[in-house]
Amino acid sequence: MNSLNTYLIISAFLFSIGLVGVLQRRNLIGMLISVELMLNGASLNFMAFNRFLAPEPVVGQVIALAIMGLAAAETAIGLSIILALYRKMHSINIEQAQRLKG
Amino acid sequence: MDAIFKDPVLLATVIGTSLPFLSMAVILCLTRHNPMLSSRISVTAIVVAAICALFNLAKVASASHAFRFDTAWMSSGNIHLTFGYYLDPLSALMLTIVAVVACLVQIYSLGYMSGDPGYSRYYAFMSLFAWAMMNMVIASTLIQLFIFWELVGLASYMLIGFYYEKFSASQAGKKAFVMTRVGDVGFFLGIIILTLGFGNLGIPDLNSAPGTGTLTTGFITMAAMLIFCGVVGKSAQFPLITWLPDAMEGPTPVSALLHSATMVAAGVYVFSRIFPFFAASPDAMLVALAIGTVTMLLASTMAMTTYDLKQVWAYSTVSQLGMMVMSLAAGGYFAGVFHLTTHAGFKALLFLCSGIFIHEFHTNDMRVIGKQGGRRQIIPMICITVGALALSGVPPFSGFFSKEAILAALNAQASPIWLFAGLFGAFLTAYYSFRLIFYLLFPKGGIEEKHAVHEMDSHGHKEEHHGGLFWAMAVPVMILACVTVVLGFTEHSLQGYIMAGGGAVKHASTQAAAGGEAHGGVVGHQLLVILGISAGLLGIILAWFEFGRKGASRNGFLSYFPPVWKLFDARWYMDAFFRWFLDTAIYSGLTNIFTRNDRRIIDGGIDGICFFTEAGGRIFSFMQSGMLQYNLLIMVLVAGLAMLFCLV
Amino acid sequence: MDTSSSLTALAQAAFWITIGFTMTGACIAVFARNILYNVLGLALALTGVAGVYLFLGSLFIALMQLLIYVGAICIAIVFAIMLSRPLHLETPPRAMPKVVMAVAASAVFFVGLAGVALKTNWVPAIERSTDFSVVTIGHMFLTRYELVFEVISLVLLVAIIGAIITAGFSRRLSS
Repeated sequence: MNSLNTYLIISAFLFSIGLVGVLQRRNLIGMLISVELMLNGASLNFMAFNRFLAPEPVVGQVIALAIMGLAAAETAIGLSIILALYRKMHSINIEQAQRLKG
Repeated sequence: MDAIFKDPVLLATVIGTSLPFLSMAVILCLTRHNPMLSSRISVTAIVVAAICALFNLAKVASASHAFRFDTAWMSSGNIHLTFGYYLDPLSALMLTIVAVVACLVQIYSLGYMSGDPGYSRYYAFMSLFAWAMMNMVIASTLIQLFIFWELVGLASYMLIGFYYEKFSASQAGKKAFVMTRVGDVGFFLGIIILTLGFGNLGIPDLNSAPGTGTLTTGFITMAAMLIFCGVVGKSAQFPLITWLPDAMEGPTPVSALLHSATMVAAGVYVFSRIFPFFAASPDAMLVALAIGTVTMLLASTMAMTTYDLKQVWAYSTVSQLGMMVMSLAAGGYFAGVFHLTTHAGFKALLFLCSGIFIHEFHTNDMRVIGKQGGRRQIIPMICITVGALALSGVPPFSGFFSKEAILAALNAQASPIWLFAGLFGAFLTAYYSFRLIFYLLFPKGGIEEKHAVHEMDSHGHKEEHHGGLFWAMAVPVMILACVTVVLGFTEHSLQGYIMAGGGAVKHASTQAAAGGEAHGGVVGHQLLVILGISAGLLGIILAWFEFGRKGASRNGFLSYFPPVWKLFDARWYMDAFFRWFLDTAIYSGLTNIFTRNDRRIIDGGIDGICFFTEAGGRIFSFMQSGMLQYNLLIMVLVAGLAMLFCLV
Repeated sequence: MDTSSSLTALAQAAFWITIGFTMTGACIAVFARNILYNVLGLALALTGVAGVYLFLGSLFIALMQLLIYVGAICIAIVFAIMLSRPLHLETPPRAMPKVVMAVAASAVFFVGLAGVALKTNWVPAIERSTDFSVVTIGHMFLTRYELVFEVISLVLLVAIIGAIITAGFSRRLSS
């Protein structure tokens, strides 16, 4: 529990499992949830480096807070897009939102 | 700036050659709507310019050296170009001719152009014309000369197309502009070659260049031939003759100026200006001699068939220019310049007299003018006869002296062909001049009394006959007639004056004439004078026999040979040839190829690019499934594989 | 000596249990077919991550994680579920090729990431302070990392306005 690699593997796992969700879920809300997981993986990465390598422990925490702020913003925008899409298509299936196809 | 006020010659030059430009600017900017004021400004400017020119002539004659004022303009490597004035005897003489003739023509125009809607415009362009020509004359370098040479072309284009609402006038203007441009391309190429090969375009430097032996004969020949192209275009030499007869579409005073002292004289002037340079290349001189001869004979024959008053003088101008070129090319430097001088006088006289007739009778046809009582116009009739006598080379008029000088120069050539061509040309000149005179004096079937009709169509003509406007036209004509009578007797003093300055010129002309000096000429001096006079008189007598005497057929011997008449009348089919050449070679040949290139290759290429872009878009659009997740999948896969690749 | 080793063992156990919760939550959040289960799994995973933050020595960030992620974002997602009512729509059957491809791509990515993490020789900074206090964070946030703070504020403001406009305009357009 006191080695950097453990944390890096955990964060990589969180990121990858989020990636699976983003690539595979058809539900837009599901994709949003997966994106949150990916963001958490990244955040965890920063915190781990902050704990084991950084000269000042403040930096990683500041970045983690910034990521949380960005995640909140992203969620707000994502939710509003989901709402707009739902009103337009009466569905939040990503595979039906393909008006831009060639 | 101080230097200008310290040196009176420079001051006079600057004032004289810049005032006409100022007057043009003032007329165009301020007084365009006040014709009277415009004309006064313009005439004042040109009178001052003429006085300055006369002052300069006197100064240059009394001084033993040429005046040269130069400032560096462009200097790069071996190339040094300057701008400035170069006043030697030749340019001072030419400056005087230009200023005086322009001055007389502008005074004449006060009467001729009165009441014309474009009065102010006319005077503005006349000022521009005079300004450009004067600056061309005193230019110290070839490039400066070329700039004003082009300005002369521009001014003549605007004046030939002065009645631009008339289709033929605007066409004639364009024709003059384009045809002279053909020659100017050659001229400009010549200047470029000189700049590259010699690096100094100063006229005196150029003239002394062959003597130093720095330039090869081949180079000089090439440069001289190219510059001669410009002379051919400007002075309407063969094969670019036909623009000059068409230039008759402009007002008659314009023709007078154009034919005597400015536009066409520019070509011959350039030839004489760098005469020593030309003389260093015997081949170029031979070509020039041939072209001059052909031009003179062609133009003389064309003049024998036309009935248009102005056109006869136009053809005669071409033939006289041909004669000047012949003379210069034969080494008769002074003869050519002298003929240029006398020709400026009597050709202006002839045109201005014709202008009075045309103004009076509203027609260009000599038969109609004769029939309606041309000979009752005493003053122009006398003056035009004086001019025609001078043109025919009858003593004691000025043309006789200059023509004798030219024949003497031709006589010095080794081959007698040139002398006989010159004599034949003199004979033809006398014949067609007096054909015109006799048509005016003794019209076929006598004078018809049609003055009643004439008074009806233009009221107010009665005052005009002897009012101020008439005298504005008559006085310049009389002055020119006096000059024509007197000028010939100044031959020897003028010769001393012209030949005084240039050792190079003297050397060159003796060198060029050297071929003939050896055997002392084809005929003796006395015989030559007799031959020259008799050629002119023979022409007059033939004209009298056919057109003058009572019961003459008034058809001319040419009418017995219809094909020849037709050939001459159609200008030896030169226009037709140019038209055919344009139609086949340019329009259906080159233009066709260019059009095809444009349609097929350029347009087609762009179409092809468009087609491929579109087709490519259609093909690749199948990959745009609209499935975001697949795009993302590929991206992630590639990123991951790249990462693995870097690891391994 | 005994107590410290047993405490260490206890901490080890707590750590792995936290990791286990996190992994389980993440798997539920991604693989469960019911959207509400997904949200709950997400909450579980986020809480687990908060625990991991505790092990990393930052109590403040752990609390913020709970507050913002578990408290705010999960609620917002639930809110979106209620508004768009995906529960009433029929869930399409799983497309197996798609799942397989996604898992494969992610596995490649994971191997890459793990490889980077393990193969790199991580060197800690020479001088390291151990000041995790909230006071320092606040101080730094308003001095050296002022720009981050301002940018986050601006982004949040823009996001709020953007969300309102996106949701509001679509209503006007569709009606």
